[in-house]
Parts: sequence; structure tokens; C-alpha cells
Amino acid sequence: MIPEGPLVTATRISLLLVLALTVQIAVASRIEVFGVQGDLMLLVAVAAGLAAGPDRGAIVGFAAGITFDLLLQSPFGLSALTYALVAYVAGSLQDSVLRAAWWIPVATAAAASALGVILYGVFGTVVGEDLLDLPLLRIALVAGLLNALVAPALLPIVRWAITPSGGMRPRTMAR
Amino acid sequence: MASSRRTGRSRLTLALLILTSLALLTLDFRDSTIISAARRGASSAFSPLRGVAETATGPFTNAWHGITGYGDLQDENDALRAEIDRLRGTAAQDEDAASQLAGLLNQLDIEWVGDIPTATARVVAGPLSNFSHTIEIDKGSNSGFKVGMPVINGAGLVGRLVQVTADDATVQLITDPDFAVGVRLVPSGAPGTARGTGAGANLIVDTGLESDASVARGATLTTSGADRSAFPGFIPVGKVVRTRSGGGGLTLDLVVRPLADTEKLAFVSVMLWPVAP
Repeated sequence: MIPEGPLVTATRISLLLVLALTVQIAVASRIEVFGVQGDLMLLVAVAAGLAAGPDRGAIVGFAAGITFDLLLQSPFGLSALTYALVAYVAGSLQDSVLRAAWWIPVATAAAASALGVILYGVFGTVVGEDLLDLPLLRIALVAGLLNALVAPALLPIVRWAITPSGGMRPRTMAR
Repeated sequence: MASSRRTGRSRLTLALLILTSLALLTLDFRDSTIISAARRGASSAFSPLRGVAETATGPFTNAWHGITGYGDLQDENDALRAEIDRLRGTAAQDEDAASQLAGLLNQLDIEWVGDIPTATARVVAGPLSNFSHTIEIDKGSNSGFKVGMPVINGAGLVGRLVQVTADDATVQLITDPDFAVGVRLVPSGAPGTARGTGAGANLIVDTGLESDASVARGATLTTSGADRSAFPGFIPVGKVVRTRSGGGGLTLDLVVRPLADTEKLAFVSVMLWPVAP
């Protein structure tokens, strides 16, 4: 296996982010369940954590957040901060999750997505957005469930974008 | 096992990312031109996509809404028919009253909202995330739009422009918790400030009224149009649903249902106000 340069991986991840944003705009943001929509960029962040571990996962999560921030009118960097943290948390669970039954990564994606929504609400409030008026718990629950529905399709794509060699995680990491 | 080194490195990465986020947040709060330029660039880049997506996925999302809300749609249809009949009756009266009002205001040299030119735009995208209360429309500075212009529809105030590129613009909805507009109660003229509380939710209006003042349910609120206000006066905003005590029990808060249904917008009008100097 020829080792790939970081530039190739970065390009592939950038493409993935633009594609995910496109689907979020074109499809996900138009389908609401109980007034709540799924959050694909958050799911990409979680999936990156699960696929690449806390270190690189957090970087991809940050990139996903920044990309989303560009199209939102919320404080710039708020999604980046939240998604990087959530990807880090998901990445820390990576080892125990990926070797378990198929549904465990999906359940983790749901829980991490819900956590992301809550964190966004809390951070947003700290930086002066009035987000606590919103039904945070309902948004977290429904967005988590919607993301869980998409997770089985998205997890392999993100895993491929980060480590196309097909490895669950790069075993060469242990140096 | 090198796991402790890995943990150390990933913690450092996370710390750096958090610091970067905080730096960006700070930049944004200082109204950095770089960030607003980047946002306008991204918005322009995705603007053709929004139009295409609206056309392509419209039938599917309509079908989805049809399936999940069929009963609601039927009820709504019946309610709308009844409403139209009622409105036809009052429209004629209103037209007469409006022309009289316009004449009187003209004599007093007061600007009337009906005289402000508007431009109609199509809504091409709704809120992109659960925490965003903005929509995208398909016209921008090429149609004379500027940041801050009021956005209305046939029913009343919808929001204001917060970002404008050449061919699209972003509208902050009145339901945004960060949205505030000076209003006055019809007919008493009591002033207040209306704030959003989230998508589909009612507005809350802080008034200076005594907590035992009585305000009729169904009373209308319009923009106050006070000096240096961000909006011209007389734009209908909403109707009082109920009252509650606010300001530590000293004043009265009004719970107000917006007249414009910001959840189901297809077309909006941008008021070209203030008219270019």
C-alpha cells in the first residue's frame, strides 16, 4: 500500500465537507420532524471522531464546523468549537465502539449528535445568543434520532475519506 | 503502548482548536470585515445551488409535508377559505380608510408605509440548522437591497436583511431570539419592544404598562417607527394572544402571535427603506 500524502486526504475531506453541506442545504434542512431537522455537518464531525480518533477527528470536526459557520448567521466559530469538541469526545470512545456490534457506532452517533446540540445551546448562550428559549432537549433528541438514521450510510463514507485503505484506524499510529 | 502520548497529543490539538474557535468568535464580535466577506463569498458560491435544490426537492419535501400534515392541511384550507371571505368584506373598508389616512399623513408630512417602494423576492432556502432563524431570498444588491432593509409579506413584518450579496440576501426572521423591534399597541399607542423566541413560537413584547393594565386579546401591534428606529412605522407585526406579568411583576408583557407565518414563506417583499440618500 502506497502511503498517501496528507494533501490527498485533505482534498478528499474538503470534498466530503462541501458534499455534506450541499446535502444539508438541499435535503436535510428541508425535512423537519417535530420542527427539528437533522444536522449532517455535526454527524460528519462525529463520524470523523469515530473513524480517525480524537486527534484527527477534532481537526475534521473543526473544519466541518467552520464550513457550516460560513453559511449561518450565528457567531462565527461557534459550530467549529462545538463540533471539534464533539468529534474529540466521539474519538475518545473510538476503540470501545468500533469493535462492538454494528448498532453501537450508530447509537454513539445519535448520542454524540444530541450532545453536540446541547453544547451548541450552552456555548451559544455563553457568547450572548438567546438560545435557552428554544426547546433544547427536544431539538437534541430529534436531531440525534435523525442523525442516527443517516449514520449507517455516512459512517463508511467518512471512514473512507479519512482512511481509504479501509482500516478501522491507522495501526501505524502506535509509535 | 503509546496511548498516553497519543492522548497528550490529541489534547494539545483540541486545545489549539478551541483557542482558534475563540479567536474567530472574538473577531466576529468585532465585526471583522474578513469574516463577513468570507460569509458573503460562501453565500454567493452556494446561491445557485439553493435555487436548484428548491426546484428539485420542492415536490419531495412538499409530499413529505403533505404526508406528515395532511389533516392539518385540510383544516388549514377550511380555515383559510373562511378567512378569505371575511377579509374580502373588510378589504373594501380598509381601502377607504387607508386612502383617508394617507391623505391626512401627507398633510402632516409623515411618511406612510404604503408609499414605500418594495421589491418581491422568492424564498429559496429556509433555516439551515436548528439554531438558525434566517432564510435566503433570490435577489440582492443588484435589486437595490441593502443590509437593514425591512422584509414583509402580505400579512405583516417578516424580518430584516442581515446579509446581501449581488444576487441573494439573507433575512433574519422576527422569530429569531436575537431579533428585536420597537412596536406600539393599536389603538392606545403604548410602546414596547417585541422579541422573538424561536421558530413557530410567539413573540414577547416588553411594555412599560402597569402590570394590572388591561390589554384586549387580539389587539394588533405595529412597528412604532420612532425616531432612528430600524423600521418604518405602521407595519403590522402581530396580535396579542395573552398577557403575563414581566419586569419582576412591575410591568406587563404581551405574548404576541406574529401575523406573518415565518414557517411557510414562499415570497416576501423587501421595503426599499431607507430610500437611497
